[in-house]
Amino acid sequence: MARLKSHAWDVVAWVFFAAVPLVIFYQAATNLAEQGVASGGPLENAAVFPRIIAWILAGLAVVNILRILMGLVTAPSPLSTTPTTRLALTATLLFVVYLVALPYVGYHLLTPVLLTILMRLLGLGWIASIVAALGFSLGVAAVFEGLLNVVLPVGFAEIAVFG
Amino acid sequence: MFELLREGAPLFFNLSALALTIFGVVAGLVIGVLPGLGPLMGIVLMLPVAFHLPPIAGMGMLIAIYVGGSAGGSISAILLRIPGTPLAAATLFDGYPLAQKGRSQDAIGLSITASALGGLISGLILLFFSPILAAFALRFAPPEYAAMALLGLLTIAIVSEGSAIKGLIAGGFGLVLATVGTDEFTNAYRFTFGNFNLTSGPNLVAVVVGLFALSELFFQIEKGDFLARPQIQKLKTSFRALRLILRHKFNLVRSALVGTFFGAIPGAGGDISAFISYAVAKRMARPNERYGEGEEGGVVATEAANNGTCGGALIPSLSLGIPGDASTAVLLGALFLLGFFPGPELFRYNPDVAGGIFIAYLMSNVVMLILGIVLVPFFGAVLKVPKAWLLPAVLLLSTMGVYALQNSVFNLWVMLFFGVLGYTMRKAHYPLSPIIIGMILGPVLENNFRRALLLSRDGPMIFVERPISAAILGIVAVMLVYVVWTTVRPAMAEPDKAA
Repeated sequence: MARLKSHAWDVVAWVFFAAVPLVIFYQAATNLAEQGVASGGPLENAAVFPRIIAWILAGLAVVNILRILMGLVTAPSPLSTTPTTRLALTATLLFVVYLVALPYVGYHLLTPVLLTILMRLLGLGWIASIVAALGFSLGVAAVFEGLLNVVLPVGFAEIAVFG
Repeated sequence: MFELLREGAPLFFNLSALALTIFGVVAGLVIGVLPGLGPLMGIVLMLPVAFHLPPIAGMGMLIAIYVGGSAGGSISAILLRIPGTPLAAATLFDGYPLAQKGRSQDAIGLSITASALGGLISGLILLFFSPILAAFALRFAPPEYAAMALLGLLTIAIVSEGSAIKGLIAGGFGLVLATVGTDEFTNAYRFTFGNFNLTSGPNLVAVVVGLFALSELFFQIEKGDFLARPQIQKLKTSFRALRLILRHKFNLVRSALVGTFFGAIPGAGGDISAFISYAVAKRMARPNERYGEGEEGGVVATEAANNGTCGGALIPSLSLGIPGDASTAVLLGALFLLGFFPGPELFRYNPDVAGGIFIAYLMSNVVMLILGIVLVPFFGAVLKVPKAWLLPAVLLLSTMGVYALQNSVFNLWVMLFFGVLGYTMRKAHYPLSPIIIGMILGPVLENNFRRALLLSRDGPMIFVERPISAAILGIVAVMLVYVVWTTVRPAMAEPDKAA
């Protein structure tokens, strides 16, 4: 148990990578079989290559968990935190909210808000944060909308400053 | 050799390509200077912009970032004792002590000059060897291509930092990602889970930005010190280093050759070549040269080698389509997405593009030689910018860059997913580069593997019946034996731990 604690990130990564071959085998047996491409010669069998990789990954996953359990993974990876880990999580959560709201609210309304909050969280003053957030947002929009003709998300207000 | 340059010249020598190369070098140097970022991050951030540009202008900009970013890390190593990139770690040995003697100006000048000249020497080797290697690769058929892709992936997975097993898992996962989407032979949808956004597979740029840029942002926030402004000696522009480097001409050429050689070995990387080059220079030093105490030759050796690695890494990348490191893997991805296929076909069907890329690489080093020295005071000022300004700017540029690829919010979710995965992998000491190499080499490996089986009358025996393919697979087998040996040996050596 102590070994699993000291290698917690290794275990998290192992769970993810061990699940990959299982998904491949399952998909090959269901979805690809239903499409009629899970058997036959090299041209008509779309599952042959993923299956080979899945077997290799499964083998590597077994070796890796044995290495973790036997204490052969020398570099520890505990779930340690720093004084600013909570800040990093908050920033990530903010970014998730930003992604959810982006298509509805639009780039020009939402981005300055996100950047202002982020800069405030990172320790800049209100005025500096607001001015920099507006400057960065407009600068990036000028490059993408103005120079590269990209349509940034316009949102409900349908704002495109440089488009 | 010169034919390629002649064909590429019209594509490169125009206002936009030249201006973007200059921009790329400066942007690369700035990103290299900033601790935690590096050439790969620079390429990743500007990748989405490159897709909206003409091919050579876009590739020229990315290559210039690669060149500038590989050199820029030395400036913070010399001034702050913090290498901006792992490539500059060896520059600490003599660069920082030289600065402490009040010669930071000379140290930075020498590092930029050695980087640029080292890069130029490796560029000439690139120019000479790439067409030869590409011509040899014209003999390749599907079995050889499949074996070569396997070798490239395996080398990078094994040589990358962390254990070989973890490198192989990451590489295998990259191959899996490459299978997501529409199968080229049957047009069946594989692993799309009914999501039409995945019919072309996860976007490579979104994956790269997530794995490298987003995870790095998370790490940087965890480190804190958002408002710190380091104290830096006053810097001014000086070309004295151009005279100083003449004292180290043999060291320069030797180190550039060492860098080029290690760059051409997939996975070896600039940091390894810089350390080896430093060790060689130290061993061959005159009795009065005190390496480790602020010796000019130490800076020249490491910097000429790590920028020599850039040209070296481009040799297998352009001529065989096998990337030499993570940065060249992303450059190859950019070339793919711009509609060109690296490898012998590039030299056969698009010699102008190959030539344009060579010129872009050589010119990037020339531009760096001049601007790198002229802008030294500016780079000193960049080092004083607090992270509280930089991190949100990097996040915004990453986000809108990925969005702009296909005007797709879905790609942003892909980026976020891989950001979290990248963070987890780095915490668990997995290398990230093999995922990208796997994604790029996956289609080459799978398509040629299946084509080879189709051509074969003896099933998989075709891979060992053909001499070139058999030789490459022989090397693969030796490498696998090495992996097994390095995995099993610790268990045998420490039975008490294993118990």
